[in-house]
Amino acid sequence: MIRLFEIEWRKLKNYRVFWILFVLYFLGLAIVCSSGMFLMEYLKSKGADFNGIDPTILPLYDFPDVWQNITYLATFFKLFLAFIVIISVTNEINYRTLRQNIIDGLSKREFLISKFTLIVSLAILATVFLFLEGLVMGMIYSKVQGVSYVLKDLDFLAAYFLEVCTFLSLAFLLSVLIKKSGFVIVLLFMYTLIFEPFVVINMEHNPHIPDTLDWIIPYLPIKSLNNLIRVPFQKYVFMKIQDFVALADVLIVLGWLVVYNSLVLLVLKKRNV
Amino acid sequence: MNNILKISNLTKNYGKLKAVNDLSLEVNEGNVYGILGPNGSGKTTTLGMVLDVVKPSSGGYAWFGKAPVNDSRKKIGAILESPAFYPYLSAERNLRIVAKIKEKGADNIDHVLHQVGLFDRKQDAFRTYSLGMKQRLSIAAALLADPPVLILDEPTNGLDPQGIAEIRQLIQQIASRGKTILFASHILDEVQKVCTHFAVLKMGRKIYDGSVEEAMNQNQKIEVSSDEMDSLKSAIDNFRYVEELESENGKFILKLKKGNSTTDFHRYLIEKGVVLSHLAERKSSLEQKFLKILEESND
Repeated sequence: MIRLFEIEWRKLKNYRVFWILFVLYFLGLAIVCSSGMFLMEYLKSKGADFNGIDPTILPLYDFPDVWQNITYLATFFKLFLAFIVIISVTNEINYRTLRQNIIDGLSKREFLISKFTLIVSLAILATVFLFLEGLVMGMIYSKVQGVSYVLKDLDFLAAYFLEVCTFLSLAFLLSVLIKKSGFVIVLLFMYTLIFEPFVVINMEHNPHIPDTLDWIIPYLPIKSLNNLIRVPFQKYVFMKIQDFVALADVLIVLGWLVVYNSLVLLVLKKRNV
Repeated sequence: MNNILKISNLTKNYGKLKAVNDLSLEVNEGNVYGILGPNGSGKTTTLGMVLDVVKPSSGGYAWFGKAPVNDSRKKIGAILESPAFYPYLSAERNLRIVAKIKEKGADNIDHVLHQVGLFDRKQDAFRTYSLGMKQRLSIAAALLADPPVLILDEPTNGLDPQGIAEIRQLIQQIASRGKTILFASHILDEVQKVCTHFAVLKMGRKIYDGSVEEAMNQNQKIEVSSDEMDSLKSAIDNFRYVEELESENGKFILKLKKGNSTTDFHRYLIEKGVVLSHLAERKSSLEQKFLKILEESND
């Protein structure tokens, strides 16, 4: 396993594009996750009020709410992390180094594992980064302090880790199938942000689609990921939200994680590389 | 002699096209085995299948007498088609990845880079290399783990004449250390110079295999002339083992039947009292043999 990670690391550590994407991702994440309070002050200055509540008193960064709030925000950035995986995989196909790796003695399963170590490493880094981010923001803004509050609801970080791993595995599968980085990026963007949400909205609200099909919705690839960490912000206007990670949602996502990686292996084994 | 690679009834279809058609051959330890054939005859597809990057439609192969496993490829140094490396990495860093894959240390890297004449450029990114240098790097990568078997697909492709000569020398030097080499080429001269055995493919089918020496001897002709051409002519006519005879620029050119040497023929002439002014063996090139094989296969 360490050998396979080392192979992957050697491929990336002198690759400038990788570092640029990597730094951009964390920069973007840091800016968005840290600016909650500035945003609220901006909204206040524009005269916004949420049902009569001063936006700046919203406890966005209070422990333990901070974990759900920032992991929810961070999920939008997983697309940028997926670029790293897409480029790293499609490069191997275009440079024909995947083929040469196999010729040199790497098995197809080992190739899969070496890329999966990249996926897991990125997910670990993103999760640790969010933990530190939440810790710092909480220490600055939280009205409640203390270890027991800080450590509560950390399962949102675990859910975030699982979500990133699964989404990057989907990017891996699409890269292996489609081979062209541009196509994969556009397709993943369109599917994640437009196609699947469009399908979901239609299934939920279109009167021509029978409600008996609604059970499918939570199993859809992107919807299932989004269900892991639910939108937290309505609670500040006294609406009921799901403020925990549900086991059923985790199981569905774990299922997709297994499916994506198994399909990658299947495609690699079936195809002439 | 140990069997290194045994290919049995290997077939690869691309749609209707049979790229490789029921191919069987054996490569034994120490062979320098050339696979010859025009472009598109299935050479690279065959090598791709035994290296597990092209999935056979049917048939099989065995490395080192066993069913193929990933570890068998670690004992093979192979280049297939054009060189494939990470363009943004230097030669040295690319070879470090190869070493990791093959589970070997990196101590051999400088040595192989010296062997192919790239040592001075080892810190430069692969993308800055000329085609010839890229080709050399892929040979260096193949040599890296000091494998008992080398597979070289058109290894002199893209090299200048000096580079071609150097790489041939390198291959001969490696072969002389008892390594087994499987070598695909459409350049006959190359096969003739370095190979001990060869097979000829045409449209995915094997139409010939055997040793290079045998193939060349089969095609050997003898030139003779004498101050007394008439008595020479009648002597030749009476020699039972002549297969072909023609005359050219005042010389007779003849081919003996199989199993007769030039020495036998000369001894016969001495017995007959024919004095020669010229006697020479005319070795035909593999090219002539190759063209003949291809021609025969058309019938």
